[in-house]
Amino acid sequence: MSTRLVASFLLVFCGVAIWQVFSIPESTMYSEVGPVLAPSILVALLSLLGVFYLLTTMSSNAPDCIHHDDERPLPGGSRRVMYLLGGGLAFIFLAKLIGFLIPATLCGLGVSMAFDAKFNIKTILMVLAIAGAFWTLFSALLGVDLGPLINFSF
Amino acid sequence: MSSFDSLMQGFSVALQPMTLMYGFLGCLVGTLVGVLPGIGPALTIALLLPLTFKVPATAIFVLFAGIYYGAMYGGSTTSILLNTPGESATIVTSLEGNKMARRGRAGPALATAAIGSFVAGTIGTIALTFFAPWVVDAALAFGPAEYFSLMMLALVTVSAVLGSSALRGLISLIAGLLFGLIGIDLQTGQPRFTFGQPEFLDGIEVTIVAVGLFAIGEALYLAWQGKENKKTEVLAVSGSLWLSREDFSRSWKAWIRGSLLGFPIGAMPAGGAELPTLLSYFAEKKLSKKPEEFGHGAIEGVAGPEAANNASAAGVLMPLLTLGIPTSATAAIILSAFESYGIQVGPTLFTQQSGLVWTLIASLYIGNVILLVLNLPLVGLWVKLLKIPPQWLYAGIVVISVAGVYGSSNSVFDVGLLFFFGFLGFGMRRFDFPAAPMIIGLILGPMAEQSMRQALTISQGNWGTFFTRPISGTLMAVAIALLIIPNSLRFIRSRKLLT
Repeated sequence: MSTRLVASFLLVFCGVAIWQVFSIPESTMYSEVGPVLAPSILVALLSLLGVFYLLTTMSSNAPDCIHHDDERPLPGGSRRVMYLLGGGLAFIFLAKLIGFLIPATLCGLGVSMAFDAKFNIKTILMVLAIAGAFWTLFSALLGVDLGPLINFSF
Repeated sequence: MSSFDSLMQGFSVALQPMTLMYGFLGCLVGTLVGVLPGIGPALTIALLLPLTFKVPATAIFVLFAGIYYGAMYGGSTTSILLNTPGESATIVTSLEGNKMARRGRAGPALATAAIGSFVAGTIGTIALTFFAPWVVDAALAFGPAEYFSLMMLALVTVSAVLGSSALRGLISLIAGLLFGLIGIDLQTGQPRFTFGQPEFLDGIEVTIVAVGLFAIGEALYLAWQGKENKKTEVLAVSGSLWLSREDFSRSWKAWIRGSLLGFPIGAMPAGGAELPTLLSYFAEKKLSKKPEEFGHGAIEGVAGPEAANNASAAGVLMPLLTLGIPTSATAAIILSAFESYGIQVGPTLFTQQSGLVWTLIASLYIGNVILLVLNLPLVGLWVKLLKIPPQWLYAGIVVISVAGVYGSSNSVFDVGLLFFFGFLGFGMRRFDFPAAPMIIGLILGPMAEQSMRQALTISQGNWGTFFTRPISGTLMAVAIALLIIPNSLRFIRSRKLLT
């Protein structure tokens, strides 16, 4: 992903924000400054800065860490990122259905594999223990509502 | 009641067993997160925010203060033994500290860092105790216009002056301000930036953004790099953990100088620990009787910056407690904890929540003593933590982050947002956009808008009110000058270099 692509994303974000500013309903209440002013100023400023950023990317002044020897990723960077995000998606889709433990284990498994852990029984048991320990800490000890540990009643 | 009497009352509460236990727990957790790479005090406090529903306010702020101070102490261990500064403020410590460790003097390096942190933390807390009421007296004269201008000054300095690029800092800040406006407008009841989604009506929780940017973003970045398994070695704790007479005589002046640099700079709206640690390092290099040792493991180069770092941490609490202005990501999250309790942070905090504030300040003194006791004798334990394999460490960090966010709302939509902000944090890290301005913008955005609207209502729509009122005008002028002058100087310098 190049810096120009980032600048383009930023400008698209500004476009979406402008659309949302125009979608703010008119207020019937009297107010010296309505709900639209601050968002309008901020979106205008961000758009301006987005254009400046695009200009700096064109003159190659915007940094990207892959150009630094110390920071450059080893091969397989995108795959590792996908593992981690995949673990997150597994949690999002499964947590409400089957309880906390298995989705959190899948999430931890994705993270472990993103950090080059092998997919084997040791890794699975380790992340299962981590997920179980955090459920116990948050839900059983601190009373935070994480839902049931396991739920197969759907 | 004088500051001293109030402080004594604070001690009487802070020394009660339950409060003391929360303080001890905070120091322990703080040191732990300071030692472990990838977790910082902002993230830890953000994850513990759900506890505000269950734990009394005094106990929770004592806990958070312990975490905040503890992380400052713990960060030096990583810098010295691993040469991996956990945050920008401890980069300078690693310059000399790791060289000392490589020369078999890790013990004295850790000792001067811990004792220096204790000295600086105590000096910083004393300064907070006696200067904070002055700032409160001055701030009581502030109206909405002055508050808005002060927030503008804080926002400009945090984003445009401290980062490596004013442009990227401002983009991060304004994006944060916009995220802060998502939800129902409290004055008119109109939804803003909600995309018709009911989940957005209450706005975006600061916890989600902070944990996403700091925990998930950091994990994604390090996974993408793929270098965590090829870590540098953790050096053994060599040498005595007591300072020799010579080491002590070379350290104590550096501790005092570092403290005197750290506190006032930390207390300024620009905040930050990077500048005082750097200034302290160069001051010690200049004043040292053995300047040739710098770059090879000079003890003053550890003592001064570590003291500056800790004193600035106390300094950051000054604008937070007296003005309600956070100047760091951690302070921003502590502010949101105050909001969870419905406590208005600002000058009135010292009158309306006097007991809470003075207990918090008293607990900082106690925390410093606990941290000194915890850090040196337990250094072996902290070193063992550095050897946790990254695949388990980051699995733990991400799972606890997911559990923290999911537990606060029981919503998978929020977990989705967490990963969205994590991916954003990864991109920001890769393309060198600072994350702290986004968090501060998110917190200050709604507050700044409210002050602006109140000021304009009072002045009947006259925008000049921000510039014609003496204090407000001065603050605005300083903010504008800080925005323009450094960039102009940089531009002129680059033109000169070209010609």
